[in-house]
Amino acid sequence: MKVRFWGVRGSIPVPGRATNRYGGNTSCVEVRPRSGSPIIIDAGTGIRRLGKSLMDEAFGEGKGSAAILISHTHWDHVQGLPFFSPLYRAGNQVEIFARQRDLHLEAVFSQQHDAPYFPVPLSAMHARTGFHEIIEGSTFQIGDAQVTSARLNHPWIALAYRIEVDGASVVYCADTAPFTDLLLGQEFVHSPTMELTPAIRAELAAMRAGVVALARNADLLIYDTQFTPAEYTVRPHWGHSRPDDALEIAREAKVKQVALFHHAPMRSDDENDLILAQYRQVVIDAHDPFTIVSAYEGLEIMLGDT
Amino acid sequence: MKIRFWGVRGSIPAPGPETNRYGGNTACVSITTATGGLVIIDMGTGLMHLGNSLLASEFARGQGRASILLSHTHWDHIQGLGFFPPVFINGNQFTLWGPGGSDGVLESILEGQMDPNFSPLQTLKNFSANFEVRAVRSGASFDAEGLTVTAREHDHGAAKALSFRIEEHGKTFVYASDVGYPESGPPAEAIAHYANADVLLHDTTYRPEEQATRRNRGFSSYEEAITAALAANVKRLVTFHYDQDYTDDDVDAIIVKCRELATPHGLEIVPAREGDELVV
Repeated sequence: MKVRFWGVRGSIPVPGRATNRYGGNTSCVEVRPRSGSPIIIDAGTGIRRLGKSLMDEAFGEGKGSAAILISHTHWDHVQGLPFFSPLYRAGNQVEIFARQRDLHLEAVFSQQHDAPYFPVPLSAMHARTGFHEIIEGSTFQIGDAQVTSARLNHPWIALAYRIEVDGASVVYCADTAPFTDLLLGQEFVHSPTMELTPAIRAELAAMRAGVVALARNADLLIYDTQFTPAEYTVRPHWGHSRPDDALEIAREAKVKQVALFHHAPMRSDDENDLILAQYRQVVIDAHDPFTIVSAYEGLEIMLGDT
Repeated sequence: MKIRFWGVRGSIPAPGPETNRYGGNTACVSITTATGGLVIIDMGTGLMHLGNSLLASEFARGQGRASILLSHTHWDHIQGLGFFPPVFINGNQFTLWGPGGSDGVLESILEGQMDPNFSPLQTLKNFSANFEVRAVRSGASFDAEGLTVTAREHDHGAAKALSFRIEEHGKTFVYASDVGYPESGPPAEAIAHYANADVLLHDTTYRPEEQATRRNRGFSSYEEAITAALAANVKRLVTFHYDQDYTDDDVDAIIVKCRELATPHGLEIVPAREGDELVV
């Protein structure tokens, strides 16, 4: 399979010279099995360009089909969907998967498209769309690929996904806080202080075990590393991790490669270079058996049989 | 009035080297008044960068106040709000003026933006600053930080948006983004709203060749903007809200075309670029 990054930024798109090399578009990763249709993870602004490139293929003739796995519906992970060209072409099929909530998934996405926020309602899209509500921990098939999900520690709850196809596996783990300091869920956490009861500790430990199991022996682990350790100290309740957390999970799960992902909006390219160099050294010093990259727009990684 | 451009792009932010010169952030413009007051127009992603710059001022100490004029509530004009640091500092005061018919309806639309499905803020109530929302009716005039503002509702495809005529000490700046005209051209009411402005900032989303197939989207071509500016006898026209697919080179070419059309009539073209300032 081929993994290609179309958007690597967290929270909000950041155009400008400071982000030219890593890119300023929000989360979108394309997983392309050797045979078959694209599986897209998240629909941040990066999906706009992916959509344009897909229109050069079967999608341009209204004969394409794609699956989109949504980690969660925070704006930076869904903003690009109304600008995904294949949706506007009759004959295309787009299947959207996301975590089940109180409000039906289709209603959530309709809200995004409706007046007063956007001019074109979801019901006016010409492609056929399907909405699939999934429960964390569940496993399902998309073509030849097997997809498994796990819950993450993020406000309003996000899902991690593992995709296995062509004898390889990629795990997408964004957005999540570490599983140590507080439990994030439906409640709004105003300040970082929170009492960790034994029940909460147990729930965090179970969530962490679920992520390690999901990432077990993965060829590539894409991980939310929005924060530096210093930034995390003051914002643990924002639901994002540090590179240290990614490496810890990678070690335990015995993955082969780690991609730092979901870069903070104000992180410049030069800062990202420094962070990557610093953690490459950490990996070397620890004699870790995996390699580390920092995701940038346009990065392609081939995995398994190609 | 000192105008500064923080976001000049239409529809969706467009990062990448090909938009470095004009900028890829969505609509946000600030006005500094003669007495140092702050008026912000639209809350696209440019608002985050304006907000960061305000952290070097009284806004960092919770002693800032500003008026915000909102043309309409499409996402590209409100996305920056949750990333505007001054709203998270206790003591700052904001008055937002926008469409919606009533204060409650407008506030509920912004509340929907913060809905927990879409935003970790979950509700506007998690702002620490005082954030007052005021609906504006078409034709109404009001005071914003000492500026006299008159709002006019115009068509924007199937939706509506507000344009703002802003006056201070006999000088006039008009903000008219996301404007769609019928094929017959700008209506007389629009021309009257822009009349004799020192500076007209006008939607120039499209080239005429794209407008030919996209009129239903409710934007203007640069030709229509120039037609409006000439009919209204304005002195300077600011091009704005460039299509997300236009590269800097595309915009350069558009500006050349604009000047060919405008200069013989004495109309000056000022291309909006992120970071540029303009004194009215």
